Amino acid sequence: MTVSLTLDSVTAHYGSTQVLKDLSLAVAAGELVSLLGSSGCGKTTTLRLVAGFLEPTSGSIRLGERDLTRLPAHQRNIGLVFQNYALFPHLSVRDNVAFGLKQRGLGAAERLKKADAMLERVGLASFAERMPAALSGGQKQRVALARALVIEPPLLMFDEPLSNLDAKLRVDMRVEIRRLQRANGTTSLYVTHDQEEAFSISDRVAIMNAGRIMQLDRPEVLYQRPANSFVARFVGFENLIPMRVSARDGGAVTAQTDAGATLTLSQDAFGAIPDRFVLAARPDGLAVTRAGEGRPAGIPVTLGIRTYLGRAYQYQCSTPGGDYLGNGPLTEPLEPGSSAILSPVPEQCCILPPED
Amino acid sequence: MVKRLTPWILVVPASLLVLLLLILPVGATLLATFADAKGWAAPYLAFFNSGFRRTVLWRTVEVSLITTVISVVLGFIAAYVVAQMPGRLKSIMIIAAVFPLLTGVVVRSFAWLILLGKNGIINSALLALGVIAEPISMLYTEGAVIAAMVYLFVPLMILTLSGVLEGIPKDVLEAASSLGAAPFAVFRQVILPLAMPGLIVGAVLVFTGSFTSYATPQLLGGERQMMMGTLLYQRAMVTFDWTGASTVAAIMVVVTIAIVLVMTRLARRLNPLAA
Repeated sequence: MTVSLTLDSVTAHYGSTQVLKDLSLAVAAGELVSLLGSSGCGKTTTLRLVAGFLEPTSGSIRLGERDLTRLPAHQRNIGLVFQNYALFPHLSVRDNVAFGLKQRGLGAAERLKKADAMLERVGLASFAERMPAALSGGQKQRVALARALVIEPPLLMFDEPLSNLDAKLRVDMRVEIRRLQRANGTTSLYVTHDQEEAFSISDRVAIMNAGRIMQLDRPEVLYQRPANSFVARFVGFENLIPMRVSARDGGAVTAQTDAGATLTLSQDAFGAIPDRFVLAARPDGLAVTRAGEGRPAGIPVTLGIRTYLGRAYQYQCSTPGGDYLGNGPLTEPLEPGSSAILSPVPEQCCILPPED
Repeated sequence: MVKRLTPWILVVPASLLVLLLLILPVGATLLATFADAKGWAAPYLAFFNSGFRRTVLWRTVEVSLITTVISVVLGFIAAYVVAQMPGRLKSIMIIAAVFPLLTGVVVRSFAWLILLGKNGIINSALLALGVIAEPISMLYTEGAVIAAMVYLFVPLMILTLSGVLEGIPKDVLEAASSLGAAPFAVFRQVILPLAMPGLIVGAVLVFTGSFTSYATPQLLGGERQMMMGTLLYQRAMVTFDWTGASTVAAIMVVVTIAIVLVMTRLARRLNPLAA
């Protein structure tokens, strides 16, 4: 049974503070969508709304055909995995897993059988008798996962499930979560602040900021084609250069930075360029070359600190309009303090709408 | 050498205090009961052969148990409500709950005299409202003693339990409801078992407190509702029957220890974390 999750213009408040602004989100049946953002962006609030621990001020939440909006949490049938595991400290591992089955009125024998089978699946069969306090962090989270999965919920939700684990375990658990989620085809909502985690585990990622979804797309698209400056900054486009078009000549567009530096960009290479835009580039996308005759036109800069990256040199470049990071070839090391030219590499740059 | 002795040296003052002020006098009291000319068991036989004294003992156990049960229930409800409150309000409520502890037991028991007396506030109010034609006598009943003792001990219970209830992580409760547990199931299957240690500690405190209480039964129960504490006082200070008084004391110590042992055993059984 796979169903979709739909949030329709959901608004939420803590007291008088609005924490979600008209948020709409559709998670397709069987899909894993991550909510990614820094703390306070509303990702956990969204999850708590879906779980039923919080009521939206307006809007609706549906799971398949079922309207969850005003349903009490215990009637929603959602599997939840918490950051702090939230195991029942007074119950054995087996009873923890069987808890949800007990609430569903299953007989003791059946509960045991199902709980043990699920513990087997997460590799904890031999730990069934243990108390949660006697488990390691990774084991606790696997018990929490088993406990959420055993009730066969149509929706699984994860609230930063890996942030209390060490790095190596995090990667293992990530793979494990994905494997179990895929195997069951359970629609999932995954909350994290870790970009790598979100990108590696998700079908699609929603990058959130200040109670809004800034962009919802496949990780590849987010990484290469951010839709706005916020997302661009989030995925590592360190150079965001606001520009204004001063002349158009067929496909060639001449644009100026706020500080007056002029660039000529080809629309064939960069795509359609509006009159005002932000040129976004990672250091890779801004090529640093020596200033001089016969060199491509670009933004004139003064070089600062040079860092050896192995595949290239990275330079801090200062201009009257601000500082940028660009990369130069290993074949031509340039000295700090010398003048250079920064020119955008079309396939590594994005043309974004201006920030307000 | 000195370093290894330091911890022992540090416990000496407290140990001396306990030895001098607790173990020696209690030991002497117990010994006194066995020094009877008519044989070591004679004072105890005398105690248990007296219908009156058996009644006093039984009444004390009964009043203490009822007080404990009511205090546990009321204290639990109050602590649960307080634990749900936002931070500031919570501190205010805890202070309000503890406030009565700042005055003496006698003062607080006396307050009940004013409430329950023949011309007390409750009788006056009921008379004025025409609910009753004659004042009801509420003083010097078991009910009066229990009411006052519950009032004395509920703050203790609230203090013990609110700490325990606050210690239950919120996400554990949320996990329970996400797994389909209705509010009552969450209470019975998660909150209650996790609060059990605090519940037992509180119950032990309330039981021993009421079992050994003196001022409250004296003021509100009088002669008619005599309890062990008042009996002890009467033996020692009115009839100067020191052996009889020591016997009462010895029985109180034994009953208290027995009840505490049973309760801690129960606590260990019911405390899932110790398993």
